[in-house]
Amino acid sequence: MPLGLAALGELLVERAGLINIGLEGAILAGAFGALVGASTAGGIGAGFAAAALAGLVIAMLFALCVIWIRADQIIAGTALTLLSVGATGTLYRALFGSSGAALRIPTSEPVAIPGVATLPVVGAALFSQPPITYFLYLLAPALAWWLARTHAGLALRAIGERPEAAEAAGIAVDRLRVLAILSGGVLGGLAGGTLVLAQAGTFAEGMSAGRGFIAIAIVVLGRWTPYGVAAGALLFGAASALQYAFQAMGWNAPYQVFLVVPYALTLAALAGAVGRARAPAALGRALETRR
Amino acid sequence: MSHIQTKTPAEFDEQFRQYGSQGYDLVFGHGFEFQDAAKRVGPDHPRTIYVVTSGSSVGANVAGIEFAFADASYLAGMLAGAMTKSNVIGVIGGTELPPVRESFTAFSRGARVMNPKITILTSYIGNWDDVSAGREQALAQIGRNADVIFQNADAAGLGVFRAARETKKALVIGSNSDQNDVAPEITIASVVIDLPHAFLTVAREVRTHTFKPRVIKLGTESDVVTLKINPVFRPRIPAAAMHAVDSVRAELAARRFDPLAATP
Repeated sequence: MPLGLAALGELLVERAGLINIGLEGAILAGAFGALVGASTAGGIGAGFAAAALAGLVIAMLFALCVIWIRADQIIAGTALTLLSVGATGTLYRALFGSSGAALRIPTSEPVAIPGVATLPVVGAALFSQPPITYFLYLLAPALAWWLARTHAGLALRAIGERPEAAEAAGIAVDRLRVLAILSGGVLGGLAGGTLVLAQAGTFAEGMSAGRGFIAIAIVVLGRWTPYGVAAGALLFGAASALQYAFQAMGWNAPYQVFLVVPYALTLAALAGAVGRARAPAALGRALETRR
Repeated sequence: MSHIQTKTPAEFDEQFRQYGSQGYDLVFGHGFEFQDAAKRVGPDHPRTIYVVTSGSSVGANVAGIEFAFADASYLAGMLAGAMTKSNVIGVIGGTELPPVRESFTAFSRGARVMNPKITILTSYIGNWDDVSAGREQALAQIGRNADVIFQNADAAGLGVFRAARETKKALVIGSNSDQNDVAPEITIASVVIDLPHAFLTVAREVRTHTFKPRVIKLGTESDVVTLKINPVFRPRIPAAAMHAVDSVRAELAARRFDPLAATP
């Protein structure tokens, strides 16, 4: 689930013609934010709010570097991920000591949706989940509709393809890009919050464990469409679940063979899917100099 | 006294050299990954003693500490074997480092001594930080009926406690630090390494000039590695099992028994 949220956030950023590899940093900051929010203010709602805020702060720094200063996107994203790893680790030790926060964080309980939760095979897996999962289910179609049917969605797509033309047509390119980055940061932060508040029940340094980078791959796998990205996240999640199940079978094989399953599957899907995909034309291109 | 945290193997040599040239008497590298660096740096800084935990190489001023982690793991296995009702026990590690593998081997042998019908499920998370993945691995093992899980995955292992607490279907044995407080209601015991105690033991030798370069074995008899039973959980452990564990512990302390010895 965290992957889906983070990947949908990155989708918005990439459709605006930017690539934010600081997503990993936003997820980790979100996880730490969730810890602080849930343990000081108490409660899961406060945790998610703080997670979103932490993701937003990282995204603001990215927007500042990339839109304001016109810094290189890859370098800015890398720097922010490193900053987040260092800052969350330092703050965690300062606030919680070396013994850590153990399992003291309240966690979001699964809520079963009456009627569909009892469906065979998929029922419990899809419809007996923490509330944040249902938010994700609604987010994908909402984003698809917004991108395809609204004026603002069209403007976002335009700046990802032909920023100059969009600007000539009267679209405030920079402002829209900042909004896309900030939304991506909020979703990345919520993804981190999900790790802490719906899964782990605690924080650990580096607990995002590369999910930000996987999410970026999932955006490509999902061919830059909300439904595609949601399906990609689901595929990766299912492959991971398969990997856990395989290891627990007690088969006599090196464990690395199982660990590689989700990545191999994603790579295979990517090789099959990407041939027909086309990235936003302005993706990752150096931004035009400010006038 | 000074402390440096290294991130990459490339830094190991550099930090060892830095301490050597600053004239430190004794430098500890915590983890077997430091031993090659100690071997390389040692001859250049003869007045500094380099000690590497889980290390096996010995030089004029290079020594290793071997934690008898397997001993206490064997005892933990005996408890797991006594507590399981489903006869399925899980072990979950971060990555398959030699000390982790040895610990799991000893644990499995201990469990089978108490109950020969036991099946052991082994999973590795692939890293030491991903708490979510730790939880998922544990849930998968619990799904396969594991009702006792021994974790050795650092932070990621917290996910194992989380899964056990959430499902209420499994008991956990912790590793490395005393984890009995993490989730007292489902934690049987922890295999604890008392690192400060180990370092002090070596430091005292250096100070009194009785230090000899060797692989220093620290374990049950020196109280550096111990099986610490969770006091909250203790009443639920059958008296016969406790008795068996105590008698094997005495054998281990007297070095009459090696849990990793090749079985006939």
